[in-house]
Amino acid sequence: MSKFLFVVPPFFGHISPTLSIGASLISRGHEVKWLGVTPLAAHHIPPGGEFIYPEEDLVEHQEELQRILKRQDDGPACSGPEVMKLALEETYVPIARIMMEGLGKFVDYWKPDVIVNDCISFAGALCAHIKGIPCVTTTPVPPDVMGDTANSAPKIFEWQEKLIKGLQQEFGVYTDDIVIHSHQLNLVFTSQEFAGIKAPLPHMKFVGPVKGRPNQAAFDWERLERSEFPKVFVSLGTLLVDIRAAFFQKLVEAFANAPLTIIAATSPDIFEQWPDNFIVSSFVPQAELMPKMDVVICHGGFNTVNDTFINGLPMLITPIAYDHFHTAKLIEDAGCGIKIRYKRLRIEDLKKAVFELLENPSYRSAALRIKETFIHAGGNEKAVQLLEEFIAMESIPTDF
Amino acid sequence: MDTVVSAAKLNSNEIFDLMKQFITEVIGEEFVEEMDITLESSFTKDLEMDSIEIVSFSEKIKIHFGEKIDFTGWLSGMDIDQLISLNLGMIVNFIEECQ
Repeated sequence: MSKFLFVVPPFFGHISPTLSIGASLISRGHEVKWLGVTPLAAHHIPPGGEFIYPEEDLVEHQEELQRILKRQDDGPACSGPEVMKLALEETYVPIARIMMEGLGKFVDYWKPDVIVNDCISFAGALCAHIKGIPCVTTTPVPPDVMGDTANSAPKIFEWQEKLIKGLQQEFGVYTDDIVIHSHQLNLVFTSQEFAGIKAPLPHMKFVGPVKGRPNQAAFDWERLERSEFPKVFVSLGTLLVDIRAAFFQKLVEAFANAPLTIIAATSPDIFEQWPDNFIVSSFVPQAELMPKMDVVICHGGFNTVNDTFINGLPMLITPIAYDHFHTAKLIEDAGCGIKIRYKRLRIEDLKKAVFELLENPSYRSAALRIKETFIHAGGNEKAVQLLEEFIAMESIPTDF
Repeated sequence: MDTVVSAAKLNSNEIFDLMKQFITEVIGEEFVEEMDITLESSFTKDLEMDSIEIVSFSEKIKIHFGEKIDFTGWLSGMDIDQLISLNLGMIVNFIEECQ
């Protein structure tokens, strides 16, 4: 049995699929731990696993870290190139820098057989490279978000390379290679068909959505069962706190007392009163809820996108920032949903889109086609198989 | 119609008006009404154009001016800070110089 260390960023959307895979690895008898720069509530951790929060090594970085986390609220107001800069230069690279010391110490202490770094947690692969530990990367979003910058925007590419190589050099890695991702195995939690990637590099393995992370959120199932109208699930994910009220205000205006039941995953506190046809709950058992829905509205957070299409549901995607636009384009290309950019979202269009998704079967059948590709990708089972094969390969002695 | 390739050179005011027209066509009149479009308006920040809108804006420039103005090529040569600070005035100047 092997020891897996998942290195994760302080963003739940990225952590979530690693919790599902981790649960599967634990059930196969492996030892699994996570390491991140913000604590994770115990109820999220699969039984038998452990989340390492290297608090002492983070003390001197705490102020910077809080500033980085706060800065994420600016994302929705940023333009495309600003978001790129916010993400890479102001978030991923500094978080990697902040993480290195505590991560390095823990790796020396626990000696994992594999480090599994999330695609934006550069420290994981960098540390693995430095210490000669096999490394796998997990990618919860469709890859290729920034496009082929090497050819289409050479100066952007140069800027990305410079930032990443600068980080590598700070930690004594002077290679011309980029070592912040695994070049051996990269698990991507979507299907190749949905991601629209014709010829992926051989180490990119599209395993589709994974499931099984602990989620004990309570839900008023009886109230849901009583509703006779089509059910629309609405989620804005865990980030984007500042625009939450504005977003749900539009939904209330569009659908108050419409012949629909709206299941809104948000804190009910944002409004004093909700219309009678809204079921509002901060935390929902999303995976169990989704099969009972008819349409999903979301901004394009990737876990909700996966939960939607693994259930073959059509989606209204209202991209706000980050990779949402890329995801929206994939959804339009697949024909399984409608995109209305959040900043251009009109109440009338919102209504029209939802009823179009409910009444026009083409969206549903396209969503069912995506579902097939997701199931075919293999999910948890495939991911675990790839990880176990990877370990077996890596542990063959090369010096005999 | 914007499919007519105009032979006459436009002055900067005319280019500015044309750009405003393209922007309106791309993002929709009612959203433009809420904006005060000036030469200082930054492309991505003030006009809030996303990449898909920028692509359709570029298409309009191409259709109108033809191959002599390589707007997409010009954009792709920019670094991240140039892209962030790109404003309408810079685009007007670029087109004026290329004509």
